[in-house]
Amino acid sequence: MSASMTSAPEMQACGAETAISRLPRIVLIALLGLLSACGPRQVIVEGSFPTPLMDPLPLTMGVWYNEEFSNHEFFDEAKGRADSTWIVKTGEAQTQMWDIVLGGMFRELVHMKGAPAPDQLNQVVDAVLIPHVEELQYAIPAHTNVKVYEIWMRYRFDMVTTAGEPIGSWTMSSYGKTPTAFLQSDEAAVNLAAVVALRDAGANFISNFSRLPAVKEWREQRQDSGASEPAGDEPAAATEAPATESEVVES
Amino acid sequence: MTRYTATGLLLVTTLLTGCVTATVDEMVFNEPTAGIGDSTVVILGRRHASDYETEPDFIRCVGKHIHARDKSIYVMGELEFINELYPWFEPRTAPLRPRDIDKIMVHPPVAAKMAELKTEYMIWIDGSTIQTNSAGSMTCGIGPGGAGCFGFGTWGNDANYEATIWDFTDRAEVGRVNTTASGQSYMPAVVVPIPIIAPVQGTACDGIGDQLLEFLSSEY
Repeated sequence: MSASMTSAPEMQACGAETAISRLPRIVLIALLGLLSACGPRQVIVEGSFPTPLMDPLPLTMGVWYNEEFSNHEFFDEAKGRADSTWIVKTGEAQTQMWDIVLGGMFRELVHMKGAPAPDQLNQVVDAVLIPHVEELQYAIPAHTNVKVYEIWMRYRFDMVTTAGEPIGSWTMSSYGKTPTAFLQSDEAAVNLAAVVALRDAGANFISNFSRLPAVKEWREQRQDSGASEPAGDEPAAATEAPATESEVVES
Repeated sequence: MTRYTATGLLLVTTLLTGCVTATVDEMVFNEPTAGIGDSTVVILGRRHASDYETEPDFIRCVGKHIHARDKSIYVMGELEFINELYPWFEPRTAPLRPRDIDKIMVHPPVAAKMAELKTEYMIWIDGSTIQTNSAGSMTCGIGPGGAGCFGFGTWGNDANYEATIWDFTDRAEVGRVNTTASGQSYMPAVVVPIPIIAPVQGTACDGIGDQLLEFLSSEY
């Protein structure tokens, strides 16, 4: 079914300020509504994230969120008059989610005082994780003609020592989608898809972390050197194939 | 006066409901003849397909349908369940076959949580409701004197859902219920649009809910 709206006041929506005082209140409200539609569509991702149900790995893990990560936002400028400019701010939700996931996954999670480096004074931890959002893509039904809203993210994780020496680096993707729903705005649906993508990122990280070659090797070295870490405590995914031989986990 | 208004509203609502055709297929084994006792049931949506997603509203609707007709059956909320067991029932990690349950039960906290929740049956629902066709046009106008619409629109909806019942204790699939429903909705508009909506998804929910109730409840 197609629907169109035609009315003289609406056609002047983006530039008839002198006539505003003479218009009835209802038309003024409609005008304001249309004017607000001219601006970018902004989503500040908000959600609640559950604590992972697992035995924590016997590691004291540090985490460092750099400025770019903790204030991460995605900006997509409108390409035509029919499109909208989108701003999706995920930074706050990212740090909230990773704090919960890493906090439940390791015996102890420590927020580092500074970026790991040889001359940086920091807390004593077994290793430091530094997450990065390398890419974020979104799709709404207007783009794809499919009645789902989608968010796809690619992360890069650097695992380093407190002195900043690399232990391992790998990429990981996450995906979230949500169906269209009656009376649900595009912004609310994109937020929901982003929350699903963040949950998926946590699930992907938990189910693959211990099977990453770099992490396995590092933990074996620690056990060989007498570090207090019992073997055989890897979380196993229910349906996932073993992690790839390279340090790249894509799904 | 209030009673007349309510009766009138009910009559108008009934008259303004479109027609829906529904078919339900059922195949069950090991039906619990005495019901499920104090065990719980969880209904989960499959979210693996790329081009559709089983609607959370539909999952809630089926759960409410079952609980409303047999109060003794406790249907745990989908979100509550997957949050309690995060991350083992996310689309990426959720078991696809009954035997996959063992892979997550190797984690002692997961096994303990499952025991605490007393989950006896896990029902997976896969499917969606889609719009199949649409036709017509409608024009709406607004001006200082008022607002109104004129035109006619019609669209069709198809619902197709399949519920798979897993016996959690035996790690086995014990039943499958499939329901399809289709209907045509109309919206004529002479000043005021009058939607005549075919409750396709609701009919599918009732169909699948009734069949699941027959399986789970000792009273049906």
